[in-house]
Amino acid sequence: MPLAELDGALFAAAIWGLAAAALLPAILPASLRGALSAESRAAIARPLAITCALGLAAVGALGLAGFTPAPLRWWPGLPGDPFTLGVDALTAPFLLLLGVLAAFSLGVHSPGEGGAPATLALHVGFALALAAALAAQHALLFLLAWEGMTLLSAALVARDTRSARARRAAYVYLVISHLGAAAIGFGLMRLSAAAGSFAFPDLAVALGRLPAGESAALVSLMSAGFAVKLGLAPLHVWLPLAHPEAPAPVSALLSGAMVKAGLYGLLRFGWQMPGAPPAGWGVTLALLGLLTAMTGALYAVVESDAKRLLAFSTVKNVGVLALALGIAATLLQAGYVPLAGVALAACLYHAVGHGLAKGLAFLSVGEAAHAAGTRDLEKLGGLARRMPALSVSALMASLSLCGLPPLACFAGEWLLFQALIVGFAAGGGAMRLLAPLSGAGLALATALSAAALVKLYGIGFLGRPRSEGAARAARPKAAIAASLLALAAAGAAWGLASPLAIGALGLPITAVLGPGFEAGSLAGWGGFTLSVPPQAFASISPPAVAALIALFAGLALAWMALRGLRSGVRRAPSWACGVALDARMQYSALGFTKPLRLIFRTLLRPERELEVLEEGSPYFGRKYRYRSGVPSLVERLVFEPMVQAVFWVSTQARRLQAGSLHLYLAYLLVTLVALLFLAHP
Amino acid sequence: MSAALAALQTALLVALAPLFSGTIASLEARLQMRRGAPPWQRYADLARLFAKESILSTDASWLARVAPYLVLGASLAIATWTPVLLAGSAMSFAGDLVMTVALLALVRVLHGLAALEAGTTFGGMAASRHLALSALAEPALMLAVFTLAIGAHSTDLARISRAVALAPHGWLAPSHLLALASMWLVVLSENGRVPVDNPATHLELTMIHEGMVLDYSGRHLGLLEWAATVRQMVLFTLVANLFLPWGIALEPTRGALSAAFVAWVFKLFAFAIVVALGESLTAKLRLFRVPEFLGMAFLLALLALTSNSLLGG
Repeated sequence: MPLAELDGALFAAAIWGLAAAALLPAILPASLRGALSAESRAAIARPLAITCALGLAAVGALGLAGFTPAPLRWWPGLPGDPFTLGVDALTAPFLLLLGVLAAFSLGVHSPGEGGAPATLALHVGFALALAAALAAQHALLFLLAWEGMTLLSAALVARDTRSARARRAAYVYLVISHLGAAAIGFGLMRLSAAAGSFAFPDLAVALGRLPAGESAALVSLMSAGFAVKLGLAPLHVWLPLAHPEAPAPVSALLSGAMVKAGLYGLLRFGWQMPGAPPAGWGVTLALLGLLTAMTGALYAVVESDAKRLLAFSTVKNVGVLALALGIAATLLQAGYVPLAGVALAACLYHAVGHGLAKGLAFLSVGEAAHAAGTRDLEKLGGLARRMPALSVSALMASLSLCGLPPLACFAGEWLLFQALIVGFAAGGGAMRLLAPLSGAGLALATALSAAALVKLYGIGFLGRPRSEGAARAARPKAAIAASLLALAAAGAAWGLASPLAIGALGLPITAVLGPGFEAGSLAGWGGFTLSVPPQAFASISPPAVAALIALFAGLALAWMALRGLRSGVRRAPSWACGVALDARMQYSALGFTKPLRLIFRTLLRPERELEVLEEGSPYFGRKYRYRSGVPSLVERLVFEPMVQAVFWVSTQARRLQAGSLHLYLAYLLVTLVALLFLAHP
Repeated sequence: MSAALAALQTALLVALAPLFSGTIASLEARLQMRRGAPPWQRYADLARLFAKESILSTDASWLARVAPYLVLGASLAIATWTPVLLAGSAMSFAGDLVMTVALLALVRVLHGLAALEAGTTFGGMAASRHLALSALAEPALMLAVFTLAIGAHSTDLARISRAVALAPHGWLAPSHLLALASMWLVVLSENGRVPVDNPATHLELTMIHEGMVLDYSGRHLGLLEWAATVRQMVLFTLVANLFLPWGIALEPTRGALSAAFVAWVFKLFAFAIVVALGESLTAKLRLFRVPEFLGMAFLLALLALTSNSLLGG
C-alpha cells in the first residue's frame, strides 16, 4: 500500500530530521566550520525541526487512522535485539499531541529569549527524546530516551544559571525524576532478564510467566515510577518548581506533552500487560488523582506567578487524568467493560485536550510576560488593550482550562462524570464510595481552577497596567500571534468536534481495553452529539451549544441594529468615587483570591510576616516590611522530615570520622579481622 | 411540533423572566409595608436601559463589549432545553444537567472577567467574592445533581422530570427532599439572593452581583440584567420541574400543556412568595459566614446521597 510506505518514510524522515536539527546548531562539523555562522545554522535548524515535528504529528494522525509505519531499526552493537522505534495504536495519540505542540513551541521559540543556539539544540533534542520514549519498542532504548528526556529538560530548566530558584528547581526535578526512573528501570531490567530480550512483546510474555505476587509488585513499582513523571501527589512538588523556570516554549512542551508520557507509561506498562492492572491499582490511582487534582487547584488559586499558576493547573489536570484512568481500571475490574471504555475515552481525550490548551496557555502567557518583562501578576495588567491578538489566544486558553463548554477540556470531564454516575448506579463495591467522592472533588477542583484562571487572565491582561514594563509592553510579531491563534483554533476544534475526536481515539482505547467497547458508538448523528451509552443516558452537543450561543448573541445584536439603537460606545475614564484612579486601586492578584485563602486556611496554612522597620507617628509614617506566602504543605510534612532524617544520620555518621589517625588504623584492623573471620568459617 | 414546543418553552422563559423577578421584588415590598414598584417594572427598566447609550471605561478591552452578548447567549442556550411545560424537549440532545451547570460556570467566568475590565476596586472585590463563593457552591450542586441523576438513571433534564413524576410519591423520598433542600440553598446563592447577597443593595462594600456589573451601562447592562433574570427563572423552573414535577405534561396534548402551564405559574408564584418571605425575615450573612451556609448545602446533598444509597432511593 503506497500510503503505508509513505507513512514509514515520513516517520523515518521525521526522526532523523529532528536528530539532524538537534545536532546542527550544537555540533560543528569540521568541514562546515566557518562556512556557516551559529545564527545561520540555527536559522536552518529551526524550520527543519518544525517540519519534522509536523511530520511526527502526521504519523500520529495516520496511526489513529490505523496505519502503522514500518519500524525503524538500528543495531548499536550491543548484544541482543536492535533498537526499534515504531508507532502502534497506543503511541499514536501521544505522538500527535507531541508533534503539534513541538511544532508550535519551536515556532514561538524566540532566539532573543533562549539566547544561544544551544537552547535551540536542547529544545529540539528534548522533543526528539520525548518522541523516542513514546515510540520505543525496546526496553533499553526506552530507558535511554526516558533519561535523555529528563536530562535535556533539566538543562533547559537550569538554563538561567544565575538564578538560585532555577538551580534549585532543576535539582529537585532531577532527584525526584531519578527516583521514578530507578523504579521504572528496575522493573524493565527485571523483565528483560526474565525474557532474555529487550523487545516489548517479549517483556509482556515474560511478565505473564512470573509468579502472580512478583508480577503485581513489578507492575506497581513501574506504575509508581510513571506516576512521578505524571506528577501525582505527593511527588508532584518538582512540577510547579521546574515547569515555570524553563523558557515558555519549553514549559509548553513540558506541561503539555511530557507529563503525558507518564500517562503513556501507566497505560503501556501498568495496564496493557497480561494480568495487569493488579487489584487495587485503579482505586489507588483514582484516590491519588483526586488528591492531586484538589491540591493543584488549591495552590493554583493562591499563586501570583503567572507561569507557576499554570504549572499548578497542570497538577490539577494530571490529577483528573489519573482519576479517569483509575476509575476506568476499577470499572473494568468490576466487569463493566463499556463503562470502563467511557472513562478511558475521557482520559485519553482530556490528555490531548489539556495538552493543546496548556501548550497554548504557556505560549501566550510566556509571550506576554516576555513583552512586559515580568511574569509576576502583581506587575502585569492592561495587556489585552496593548496586544489584542495575543489576548484572544490567552483568553481561549484560560477558558479552555476552566473546563468550559464547548472548548477542549469540557467533553472529557463530562464523560468522566457520566462514567461516575452510571458506575455508581451499576454499583460496584468500591465505586459506591469512590463515585460521589470523585464527583464532588472534581467539581470543587474545577471551580477552584476556574477562579485561578480568571485571576490569571483578569489580573494579568485586563484593567490597568500595574508596572512600567506592562504599560510599555510591545506587541509580539504578527507571525507569532497568528501561529498562536492557529493553535487556539486547533484547541477549539478539538472541543467542538469532541464526538468525532473521541471516535478517532477508538484504536488506542481498544488496544488498551480489548474488545467490548466501541468508542465511535459514543458519537451520534454523524458526530454532532456525544451520548453515553448510545442514546440511553444523556447527550450533549458541543457544536449545537456553540451554535445556540452564537444564534442568541447574534439575535441580540441584530435586534439592537434593527431598532436603530446606537451601536457604538462612548469611552470615559472609570469612576473612582471622585478620586484620581490609580492602578494600585485595582484588586491585586494576592487580594483577588484572599477570600479563598481564608476559607481554606486550615489546608493551605498561609504564612505572613509583618515587620515594623521604622517607628513614626502612631497613625501614619511608619515603615513596614510585609511578606506573605503559601509554602507547600507536602514539602513541609513529607520532604522536610526526610531531609532532616538524612542530615541527622549523616551527623551521627560523622562521629566515626573523628580525625584521629589511630582511630582510623583501628577501623582498618577491625575490618581486617572481621573479613578474616568471614573468610574462615 | 416538538421544535415549535421547544421554541415556545424558551420564549416563555425569556419573556416572563423579568416578570418573575419583578414579582419577587413587588411581594417583598408589600411584606415590608412599602408600596414598591409594580411587578412589570423590570420591563420598563430594560426598555430604558436599551434606549440609553452605553459607556465603557477607557481601560476596558474588547472583552467588555463581547461579554454581555456571550452571557446572554449562554443563559438563553440553557433555557432551550429546560423542561417548562413538557417533560421532554426537542433540544435535550444538546444539553443535560451537567452542561447546564457548566454553562452557568461559563457565565460566572465571563462576569468575573468583565468585572476586572474597568480597573476599579469594586469590580475586583465583587468578582473575587463571587468566584470564591461559587467554588464552594459547586460541589454541593454537583452532589445534588448526582443524587437526581442516580434516581432517574440519567442526567437528561426531561428524563429526570419524567422519572420523578412517574414514580409514585417519588418526590417524597428522603433523598429527594434532602437534595431539594440543598439545591434550594445553592439556587439562592447562584442568583445572588439573601442571605448570600442582597439584590436590592447598592452599598458598594456588600454587593456581589451588582458590583460585577457596576461599570456597565446602557444596552450592555440591559443585556446582562436580562440574562440574569433568565438564569434565575431557569433555576427556579428546574427546582419546580425536577424536584416537584406536579402537573408537568408527559404527552404533548393541548389539555396537558395548558394544565402544565397553570401548574408551572402556580409553582413559580409560590416560590416567589417563599423567597420574598425569606428575604424579609432573614438578614444577609457576613461574607465569611457564607461558607458555613454553603457547607450546609453540601452536607444536605451528602445526606441525600447517603440516604439514597441506604434506602435505595
